[in-house]
Amino acid sequence: MSGMLVSARHVAQRVFAQPAAAVALAWLAALAVAAILAPLLGLDPLAQDLVRMLEGLSRDYPFGTDELGRDILARAVYGARTSLVTAAGAVTLAASIGVPMGLVAGFFGGWRDAVLMRIVDLLLALPGIMLALALIAVLGRSQAAALVAVGLTGVPTFARVARAQVLSLRRRDFVTAVEAFGGTPAYSLTRTILPNSWSPILTQMVVLSSVAILLEAALAFLGVGIPPPTPSWGEMLRTGKEYLYEAPTYAVLPGLVLTVTILAFDTIGRALSSVLEGRDAPLARPVESP
Amino acid sequence: MTVLTTDRRSLLGALAVGLPLGAALPAAAQTAAPGTLRIALLTDIANYDPHQFSFVNASLIKNLYDTLIEYTPEGRAEPSLAEAWTIAPDSRSVTVTLRRGVKFHSGNPLTAEAVATTLKKAADPSLGKNLYPTMSIVQDWTVVDPQTIRLNMKGPVPDRQITDLLQFIAVIDPAGIATVEQTPAGTGAYKLAERAVGQRIRLVANPDYWRQGEPVTKEVVFTIFSQDAAATASLESGGVDVIYGGSSRSAARLKSQGYPVLDGPGPLVQVFRINTTRGPFRNAQFRQAFNYLIDREGILRVGYAGLGQVVALPWAPSSPAYDPSYAQTYAFNIEKGRELLQRSGLSQAEMSDWKLVVNAGSQPDVAISQVVQNTLRRVGINIELDMKEGAELVDSMLKGRFDTIFGGVGNIQKFPSRVATNSIYRTANNPILGEPHPFPEYVAAIERINTTLGSGPEVKAAYDHLNKVLVETSFGIPTNTYNPGLIVTAKNVSGFTLDMDNMLVLRTTAVRR
Repeated sequence: MSGMLVSARHVAQRVFAQPAAAVALAWLAALAVAAILAPLLGLDPLAQDLVRMLEGLSRDYPFGTDELGRDILARAVYGARTSLVTAAGAVTLAASIGVPMGLVAGFFGGWRDAVLMRIVDLLLALPGIMLALALIAVLGRSQAAALVAVGLTGVPTFARVARAQVLSLRRRDFVTAVEAFGGTPAYSLTRTILPNSWSPILTQMVVLSSVAILLEAALAFLGVGIPPPTPSWGEMLRTGKEYLYEAPTYAVLPGLVLTVTILAFDTIGRALSSVLEGRDAPLARPVESP
Repeated sequence: MTVLTTDRRSLLGALAVGLPLGAALPAAAQTAAPGTLRIALLTDIANYDPHQFSFVNASLIKNLYDTLIEYTPEGRAEPSLAEAWTIAPDSRSVTVTLRRGVKFHSGNPLTAEAVATTLKKAADPSLGKNLYPTMSIVQDWTVVDPQTIRLNMKGPVPDRQITDLLQFIAVIDPAGIATVEQTPAGTGAYKLAERAVGQRIRLVANPDYWRQGEPVTKEVVFTIFSQDAAATASLESGGVDVIYGGSSRSAARLKSQGYPVLDGPGPLVQVFRINTTRGPFRNAQFRQAFNYLIDREGILRVGYAGLGQVVALPWAPSSPAYDPSYAQTYAFNIEKGRELLQRSGLSQAEMSDWKLVVNAGSQPDVAISQVVQNTLRRVGINIELDMKEGAELVDSMLKGRFDTIFGGVGNIQKFPSRVATNSIYRTANNPILGEPHPFPEYVAAIERINTTLGSGPEVKAAYDHLNKVLVETSFGIPTNTYNPGLIVTAKNVSGFTLDMDNMLVLRTTAVRR
């Protein structure tokens, strides 16, 4: 199916016909709704109760309290905001830079390809976490810095994928036809090649979301993420591990939320990939193309 | 000197958790040879120079070296290398008589010339390290005879200040003084046998030690642990006998399980340091509001598991200037703090125009800074935490590149003017507040203490005056005492000698196998 325009509705139906993907989507949807509506739920991630520190699970605090007597559930929900916003921003940034790089490199070839791909090689040569650490050392600790750092580590992936797509489509008849009718390179790239390259790029965006969440959490775990008191799953893991004896749930529950969220993105990514590549099982009732 | 005894402990619960962890411990931490005391440290030492009092060296200094005199935990001076000392009636000199028969580890005898060589190092600004500021009261010294030396002061000096100096002077063998950072050269109860940098240090008993019957334990092995939790698990599993310098939180947890926790008389005091040259902190009433706006009880509980004391002045209970009434007068009170903020005349935006620098590598600092941040939020002051680590943090702290920062202050159990050896409390060349000192009343109060001799009411009046000035100037807001040198022991370990500076003293410690 790769290389063909497909109906988004059709793809969605086939992706979510897979039970694992449906469960994953339900989790992510619930998480996103909770994160958006958190202020309406009466959850305050910053309110401290210095008398009720490191409490276990209770009716008042379903996830317990942290070392400052803050509600871990509230912090986990607000932490979702941090993770999802960072992931969305980072993926958008990575795709915005990487995809045009790949398109230009693949379409024009020659020195443009050589220069752009060496830049990509350079980025790939540096481990993502090292690159992010270096960027944060320069930019300082903030959500914007984490977003940029995580985003830049994803650039090579999008550049490579987009370039590979262009190379496979560049000599196809419909591209040649557009050029024969006087289509400019810009027209061919944006109106002909790019629409037919979305499938693997979309899959990469979903997969990279999980990588971005993990990387943001890793940065926070290493102590270079978003500064406190802003809740972040990685920061909760980092601090929670210091209190494993006193409050095991402090680290375990945010860790579980993080793990399930990453699994959810990964599951949807794999389902999407199987549908776009035609490897999924056919739907019970065939869906007609519009 | 106080010697504490503990009882045998039950390891049943700890063994269940600790055995698997113990399997991964360094060999030195697992082997329990008879007569060997195994101690867990959280940081390796920096060097063997007894004049460098940084906490990382506190595990070794008093085991490899002796000082001229010692203090009991109550602050009473006792002989050590100095058999006797006599302060001149005019308080301008002290004559020290050295103990006979004392030998350095090299076999060289302790003499007045050796003490003079040590004093020369201490008085050298590039070599004296932490002893150098204390030497500022000394004019020169005279070797009277091989066992007697006289220290001449620059002027009349209070008795306690003189004994503080003698208690700080660890005597170094002249033959080894040039290489003392690399090779210990003391008279202490133990000699260095082996060191694997970053892993372990092994000491053996000094057979020629001058204190009869000491050291009790013939061998001490220090193992360096990188994680507090690993050291704790090792104690619980029987891998080590003592943890020195672990976190307050772990100590509190072990204490609740019945492990003895020893807290010495020389804690540090945590101080909310204010750079009065910046932003809203130029305003005295704004600064004074922080005396009420800091939840000291909460900070002690969150940062130090309640192990310490709430204080509003930079003194330990054993300090002659200690006055517990201030902690009550300046107890946490949002309303009083709000009143002072209003009286400051600053706008809300001006009051929020600063950052709190935080030591990102210290969990207690991160936690207590958030307590302050949260309290300020309640009075409409919204500030950011500026997380720093390593050289960047040290640079900020020592060069005054901060608006506010938490930092521990030592020497709070000694003569009160010793507080002025800490950067924020310096009376001259203050790296934070600048030159000339912006609070001459504080400089004068310290000077008054240094020049008020005797033990009459005028001395107490000088201390009271200093306390009043400290609260009024409010460039440092003390919050609580804490002890970075907590000792947690197994119950089969006994006989610790508590040191005035909370250094680890092992010469009387015994372990039963």
